[in-house]
Parts: sequence; structure tokens; C-alpha cells
Amino acid sequence: MKDRHAGRMFDAVNLIALLVFVLLCLAPFLHIIAISLSSARSIMSGEVSIIPIEINWSAYSQVISDSSMIRSLGFTIMLTVLFTVMCILMTIAAAYPLSKPALRGRKAVMFFIIITMFFSGGIIPEYILVRNLHLLDSIWALVLPGLISPFYLIILISFFQNVPDSLEESAQIDGSSFFRTLISIIIPLSLPVLATLSLFYAVGRWNGFTDTLMYITSPELYPLQLKLYQLVQNNMVSQLMSLEGASGQHLLQPESLKAASVIFATVPILIVYPWLQRYFVSGVMLGAVKG
Amino acid sequence: MDAFTRTHRTGSTKQHIKGVVSMVQKLKQASSKKKASAALALTVATSMVLAACGGGSSNTESGTNASTDSGSSKATTLKVEVFDRGNSPKGSTITNNYLTNFVQDNFGTPNNINMEFVPVPRSEETNKLNVLMASGSDVPDIVFTYDSGTFYRYAQQGGLTDLTELLDQYGPNLKQFLTDETLAYGQLEGKQYGLPAKRSHLGKYSSFIRQDWLDKLGLPVPQTTDELYTTLKAFKEQDPGQTGGKVIPLGMSIAPAQYEPLIWSFIKPMTEEESYTLTQQLSSRDYPILLPGFKDAMSFMNKLYNEGLMSPDFSLDKDKTKLSENVTKGLVGFFSEDDMNPYYPDGMYATLQKNNANAVLSAVDVYTNEEGKHPKPEYSPIGMYIMIPKASKHAAEAIKYLDWMASGDNLFQMQNGVEGENYTLVNDVPVVNADAADEIKNRLYNQGDMAIISNGKQLGDADKNVEAYVVGMPEKYQEDTRKALTISRTDTIKPILFDKPIEAQAKYGTSLLDKFNEIIVKLTMVKPDQFDSTYDQMIKEYLANGGQAILDERTAAYKAMKQ
Amino acid sequence: MNAILYFKRYWQMYALLFLPVLYFAIFKYGPMYGIIIAFKDFNFFQGINGSEWIGLDAFREVFAMPDFTKTLRNTLMLNLLDLMVSFPAPLILAVMLYELKITWFKKISQTILYIPHFISWVIIGGIVYQVFGTQSGMINNIVTSMGFDAIPFLTDKNDWLFTYLIVGVWQSAGWGTIIYLAALTGINRELFEAADVDGAGRFRKIWSITLPSLKPTIVTLLIISLGNMIAIGFERPYIIGNTSVRDYSDVLSTFVYRVGIESGQYTIATVVGLFQAVVGLVFVLGANYASKKLADQSIL
Repeated sequence: MKDRHAGRMFDAVNLIALLVFVLLCLAPFLHIIAISLSSARSIMSGEVSIIPIEINWSAYSQVISDSSMIRSLGFTIMLTVLFTVMCILMTIAAAYPLSKPALRGRKAVMFFIIITMFFSGGIIPEYILVRNLHLLDSIWALVLPGLISPFYLIILISFFQNVPDSLEESAQIDGSSFFRTLISIIIPLSLPVLATLSLFYAVGRWNGFTDTLMYITSPELYPLQLKLYQLVQNNMVSQLMSLEGASGQHLLQPESLKAASVIFATVPILIVYPWLQRYFVSGVMLGAVKG
Repeated sequence: MDAFTRTHRTGSTKQHIKGVVSMVQKLKQASSKKKASAALALTVATSMVLAACGGGSSNTESGTNASTDSGSSKATTLKVEVFDRGNSPKGSTITNNYLTNFVQDNFGTPNNINMEFVPVPRSEETNKLNVLMASGSDVPDIVFTYDSGTFYRYAQQGGLTDLTELLDQYGPNLKQFLTDETLAYGQLEGKQYGLPAKRSHLGKYSSFIRQDWLDKLGLPVPQTTDELYTTLKAFKEQDPGQTGGKVIPLGMSIAPAQYEPLIWSFIKPMTEEESYTLTQQLSSRDYPILLPGFKDAMSFMNKLYNEGLMSPDFSLDKDKTKLSENVTKGLVGFFSEDDMNPYYPDGMYATLQKNNANAVLSAVDVYTNEEGKHPKPEYSPIGMYIMIPKASKHAAEAIKYLDWMASGDNLFQMQNGVEGENYTLVNDVPVVNADAADEIKNRLYNQGDMAIISNGKQLGDADKNVEAYVVGMPEKYQEDTRKALTISRTDTIKPILFDKPIEAQAKYGTSLLDKFNEIIVKLTMVKPDQFDSTYDQMIKEYLANGGQAILDERTAAYKAMKQ
Repeated sequence: MNAILYFKRYWQMYALLFLPVLYFAIFKYGPMYGIIIAFKDFNFFQGINGSEWIGLDAFREVFAMPDFTKTLRNTLMLNLLDLMVSFPAPLILAVMLYELKITWFKKISQTILYIPHFISWVIIGGIVYQVFGTQSGMINNIVTSMGFDAIPFLTDKNDWLFTYLIVGVWQSAGWGTIIYLAALTGINRELFEAADVDGAGRFRKIWSITLPSLKPTIVTLLIISLGNMIAIGFERPYIIGNTSVRDYSDVLSTFVYRVGIESGQYTIATVVGLFQAVVGLVFVLGANYASKKLADQSIL
């Protein structure tokens, strides 16, 4: 009886604590939504919290009627999918051999990779490299330089190492090659972590824009976040306006448009995780062990 | 997958160029190939040219031209930087819009030059420019920056073309337009490494007061700093705006527009030597930290803060968001700001009046120095620094382009568009046609970044230039704007210009600027009894972190200049 | 095993490794010659090769800067605090979510918890100001209405540390749980049933079943965190920081931005980067060694 009571207490406290944290995480998002729907007057006067004031949808209709936004969305989705698929394939290819302690030269390769977590050549040689490979102003400039994150690679290695050896050995006794073992045993057993890393890669690509500032000049290849960044930056230049001869008065975009664009650029990537959650099924690995 | 053809629309709508490109480039573009719109084709072609210049692949151009026969293989390509702010309106891109076409048709095509505009993100301009410069190729023939530090660095490291002779040879109109005063800012040890744009309006700041509050309390407009103090006290005690105790008599932030007018009014009148040696230029702006009177200014701010007469959270307000929020809410009685900033449509004043129909904001000139004047800084007479990298093979064409812009009414057309469609002339001042269709208005969306030789509209004299700004404001604020723009030009202090860059400023400038802000914040917020000791300590730290080095170098440079 | 047999058995592994190693060689080691900028007086137009050698002069200059020592200290301090507060936060949150019985709420809250990760720092900065501001911040409105003095969350440097940590936890904890949740899918539910039979309480089960199954992930993340002790993101200290708390909020990344990038002194920026890299590598190798001894687990 006492245990059950304690258990219920635990559940209740746990639920309430999580609920509070969830609300705290939701509030800023609601705030941005509220801004996107409010009038310029109420925003500038600082009246908007999480409830929109003087509601209007003009910001959204402006975003949606902007064909460059829609095109940019399409490009960003394509870029993100391409990037994520290539990254995951490359990371698996690196992680599987490196998860085998018996592999000769493994330590040397690991060291070779870990060095790159800390040392980098800097922005100028990187730009020169991308230029010499003729990747400037192409989608590949946003894909190839970031193919494997050493950090995610290390995580994947540690998960691969947790796959029980017995499973692999039995497969190899059956005559399976390493390739086959990888595809038929290791990958299916690692779906949760592969889903996680895909999410990490996808989100990193979706939110990243600093490389586009350097490598991309064609507006057709602008990812959403770059457009968003420019929109936000334009408003930061209110101080620059007088410096620039106030020629830029009409450059100022309303706050609500900024907020609507943030929502427009964030929601597509936010729904990726709920979709990936289906791969977070408990006990995949153990089921396989028993079978 | 062999060669494919694209329509090339750099500038001229009439011009077609067939491009033969290598596998590499096709592969690059394969992803976007399907969406072949005209605009896409333009940028693809642009990138091909870029890639071709970047090294390796060949890019043969053969022109088939409808109206002019000049777009032939002999045409030179002139690459010009343009800021990309990501705000191209519908139907335009940063590299293909009304103005790029205007330039191509009126300058490019007649001179057998293909104009190519190279977008650089506004917020990353120096960063990207640095990388372009360091990587050796791809550098446009004309680049520019607002950052004087970047200009000096490039010039000193030997990366810029000396334009002295080219200017005489190809740029008579340009030289006449820019005038010697402006050109002096682009000279280093006698060589013309940059062409600074000419600024049309030098005024920076005005102050603003709630006239309706004064009227309610039966107070006159304060004429001096002392009177202002009394007025601020009255605002605080009598709360004419009925803010329920939330009144902020003096609106402040940690942005220069708010603190500079106050601080400079305390600076004692100085000799030429003092102004040259004791002023500290940090990131393109002159700071009076070592000038006599600075301590008094800080002491005044300290008093205001500790008596609750000033925005309490001013030290957090880097971008004036909180200030404009408080002004529009009707909490602020008095503040200083960039001269015309409050008057924009949907700006501070408009929003304030939406919140409170009776609110009246007047432009006033209050802060007074011991001579009874209202000193405040003004801009140097320049805008961006236009530069031609040494790597450019088209320096002559580049100067010709700028000269073309300065001659006839080309600049006027680039800034104002088409008469009757974009504007109507009233007393020689172009009044923007507010009812024009968006399509027409959008023609000029980036004129400030295209008409690079000028900063602001040039109509012949300072009053007319100012008038051009005035008529751009909502009608009911035009009179106020005119007043603010007059105030900002009164009793101004000119920035100090040396004939060579002060290296210590380039080195320590940005760090010391942070330090300077820290000094203002700490000295304002410290308890009055600790003010003196804090002041001594902060100044000591400032000097130790590079302030002394700047002082020494400026003193030496002044002596050298006087010899 | 002799070499031929070994290769016959393992060649597929090397084939798999070929592309990844090629990737690192080209894209990571290719540009690495840029490091020599640290030993040169970098001139944009002479390029890296053409610039003049200056030996260790730039290192001496950087190490002598008072700002460098201060920002180094702040970086270590903020990272250490983060290690104590922000590192365990996602772990705790993940366990809490795992213990949650209501499936739909679990799924929804997972998604909501990671939203803050997607909000840009510029926007977070504005919100932080509204919530923690001294004069009109939401929290201080409540505090003052109850008759207490306003708490200078943003302007007092010690209070600011609290704000910095709280915002960090809020922004990253939900995102950090994802990897733990992935690891938790590996737990055999039967273990819990067995524990129930033994009459183990909730905390007992968490301690002896849940946490041990997370150990490999925790150790891996910890080693990497220790390697990053001297690296720090730019945006969080820059945006949450302000002039009043520069004594604490000024860190290596803001220092490099200011001195190296804004003033165009790439040599200085490279020197600091190289210093951080060497220290980071030493830290990560040390942590790896310690973990091998203590937990019998390593990443190398």
C-alpha cells in the first residue's frame, strides 16, 4: 500500500514538474505567434505577450504570397533531405568499422578524426578549397563540407558497440559478410539512434546559414534561414539607416512579418521529430537478441 | 548531357548570350535545372562567369543581340559589388532589377561593357570582402565598405589601386562631383586609394520633448541643460502623463544617439591641438573620453540616474528597442535620437499618437555648453568608401562607370526614377509620388546601394538635400522633421581627420569601444559617493587597454602634420 | 592471424572507411594549412603563403593581453558551471519523460521541449530582457509587487550567472534529451517487471536499471564536453550578456570576434583558435584516459 502511494506521489510530482517545464518552453513560441498576428502599434508599444492584440493575418498572407519564400522553402527541404541522407550514409560507413576494436589501424583513424574536432584551417582556406573544387554557388557547397560530424560519429560508434557481439557472431557463422551484417543486423537494431542522428543532421542543416553567406550568391539557392537572417538583420540596421543616408527607410520590415517568417521557417522542421518518434520503439534490440 | 543554352540577362533585357559550360558546372546546377525561369537563368549565368573566372573552365560567350550589336565577344565585363539585404521585391532580384537594367542600358551597352553585379550580404560585408580579397580571384572590380578600418587596412596592405591618375584621366565629372573635401578622406599619404561617397546631410542628432506635458504643467521649453534638469524633475514629481509612477523623464539607452548629445555638450571648448590629440576615434566615431568635461558629463548622468530621472534599464538597451517602446507608451518626457527617426510612417511618433491622440512631441535643442551653444557631433562628409582592388584589370572602366554616374542627370535618375511616374518636381525638390503602383515604387528599392557615389539625395545645396528628406515624411510631420533636421545641423562638431591612419585605433578600437560603453554604464550607475574613485579607476583601465597607445600615436601624428 | 587472412576477413571494413577518410582528408585536412596564419603577419593580399613569418610573436602578444586572460577565465568558469548544471539537465529530463505513464502527453511534451532549440538567439535575447529586466521584467514585476526589492538578474554579475545558466538549461535541455531517449529504447522492460517482483521502489529502479543503461552515452557525452571546456559558443554569452556584466560575460569567442574579426586581425584570431585546439585535444585525451581507467570505456 505504502509503495503504491509513494509511486503515485512520484507520478504526480513528475507530471507537474514536466508540465511546468513544457509551458515554459512553449511560451516564447506562443509569443512569436502572437507577434506575428498583432498590429504594428501594439508590438512597438510592447503590449503583446502571448495573446495577439488587434489580430490580423496580413503578415502571413505577405509571406505566403512571396514566391521567393515558397521557392526557398522547396530548396531548403531538398537541401536538408540530400544532406541528411548523405551524412547518415557516410557516418554509418565510418562508424561500423571503427566500432570494431579488433580492426587494425582503428586508433590511428580515430585520432585522425578527433583532431578535426579541434583543429581547423579557418574561413579563408576553406573558401579557397570550395572555390578550387568548383563548388561555389552550388548546392554541393552546402552539403560536402559538412558530411561527417566527428561528434555524431563518436555517438554512433558507442551505440554500435552496444550491439551484443553474440548477434553479430552468429550472423558471421552463418556466413554473412560484414556488409550483410551491417545491413541486416546492425542498422535495423540501431534505428532509434539513426533517427536521432538524422534529426541532428537535418536540424543542423536547416538552421545553418553562415556557410551560405560565404558560398552562395544566387537567390535561387538561398535557404530559408538565410532569408530569415537577412530579414532580422535588416531591422537591426535601424541604427545604420542614418549612416547610410536614410535611403533605407522602406527597408524596415514590420516586426509581425519577421515573426510570421520565423514561424514559417520553423514549423516544417519542428514536425520532423514527432514523425521520427515512431522509430523510438522500446526493446527493438532485445527482441532481436531473444529471437 | 552535353552543352546547354541559357538566356543571359545581365542588365539588358534585349541581350542574349549563349553559354557553353563544362560538365562541372552542369553538375553544380543540375539540382536547380528544372526550375529554369528567366531570373534563374540570370543567376546561373552569373555564377558560371564567376566560376569561370575562379579558374579552370572555359566560358565562351557569343552574343546574338536584337537591338545593339555591341554585346559581342569583345565586350568587357565590369563586376560591381552590391549589398544584398534580402529585400528584393516581387519580380526583381538583386542582380536583375530596374536599376541594374538602367545601368546596363545607359552605361554598359553604349560602352560595350557587360555590367555584372556581385551580391554581398549587408551584414557580412567586411567578412565576405576579406575572404574575397584573401582568396585572390573573384574580387569585383568595384568594392565598397562603410568601415574606415577595413579601407585603411586594405590600403596599407597594398591591395588597392592608386586612383590619382585614373581619376584625372577618366573621371573629371566624378572629381568635380565628389569635391576635394570628400576625396581627402580617401587619401593615404598622398595617394587616392578610395573614393568616398559624398554625403548630402551631415546632421546627426536632435532632441525631443513632450510638448503636451510642458503645456499641462505650464512650463516653458527648457533652453539650457540646467533648465532641462528642472523640467525633468517636474516631470518626475508631477507626472503629467499620468503614468502611475512609471514616468521616465529622460529616455536613455546605450546607443550613441542617446548619450552623445548629452556628453558632447559638457565638453569644454578646445584648441585645435586638443581636439586632434585628445579625441579617441573608435570604430569610425570620435569619442571624447579624454577631453576636458567628460567627467562632468558622467557626473551629470550619475546624478540623473541616482535621482531616478533616467531609464533604469538603459544599460541593457543596445538597439533602442526599450527606448522606443517607452516613448510610444507615453512614459518618456525627453530624449535624444537620430534627427528624423521619430517621424517615419508607423514610427515612434505615429505610434505614440495612436496610443494617445493628445501627445505632442517637439524637436528641441536643449543641451548647452558653457558658451551657450548646443554642440553635437556631425557626420564626416562621406558615406561608403569605394575601392578598386589591385587585382582588378578594369580599373579604367570602373572609373568610367563612376564618372558616368556623376555626369548629367544619371545620379538623379538613379535616385529618383522617372519624372511623372516616381516623382513630381516641386520647387526643384522631387516629391515622391505616393500613389504610384508598387511596381513603380519598387524600382528604387535599393537605390542607396546602387547609386554608390552619393549618400542621400544630392540636389545642389544642404537645404534642398534636407528638403528631399522632409517631403519623404508623412505630411503632418513634415514641419517637425524640418525643425529636427535644422537642429541636427546647428553648432556641430566635425570629426577629426588625420592624413594617415592611426594604427593603434585600428588595433584597439573595437575593444576600447566596449570599454567605453562599460565606463558610461558604471559611472552612471555607481553610488554618488563612489563616483570619483570609480572614475579614476575606469580611466586608468581604459588607458592601459590601448587608450594611451592611441593618445601617443595621435600626439605624434599631430606633431608630424604640423611640421 | 597472418596478414593475408586478416585482410581477407577485414577488407570490407577498409572499403567502408575509404570515403569517410577521404572526406576528412579533403575537407578537414585540406584547409588546415591555414593554421600557419598564427605564425605569420597575415596580409590579405599576399595571402597565406606570401605573408611574412613572425614566429611566436603573435602568441606572446595574445598571452600578454589582459582581455585574453580575463576571457579565458570566464570561458572556463561558464563552461564549468554549465557542466554542473546544463550537462545533467537533459539526463534528468529524459528520465522524467521515461517514467511518464501517459503516452500522448509524453509524445507531445517531447516535441514541445525541444522547441527552444529552434528559436534564434536574437529572439531569445529580446525575451530574456522582457522576463528578467530589472525595471519592467515579468519576474521583477511580481517581486516588487510583493514588496521586495527588484533583483538585478541582468545587471549584477553574480545574478547574471544564474540567468545565463537558467536560459542555457531552458534552451538546450529538451534538445539534449533526444539522445538519451534513443538510448533508453534499449532497456529490457522485463528488468522492471523483475524489479517489481523484488519490491523495488521507483528511485531504486531508476538507479539500478535506467541509469546504468545510459552509462555509455553519458560517458561519451561527458568526454566530449570536457574536450570542449575551452570552446564556447558566441551567441549565448554575447546576447544574454551586456555592458554591466562584461566582467563575466566576455569570453574567448566574443574576444576573438572583437579583436580578430571586427578589427581584421586574422593572425590573432588564429592564435586563439590554435590555443583552444591544443588545450581541447589535451582535455579530451585526458578525459578519455581517465574514463578508460575508471569506467572501462573510451572513445579512442
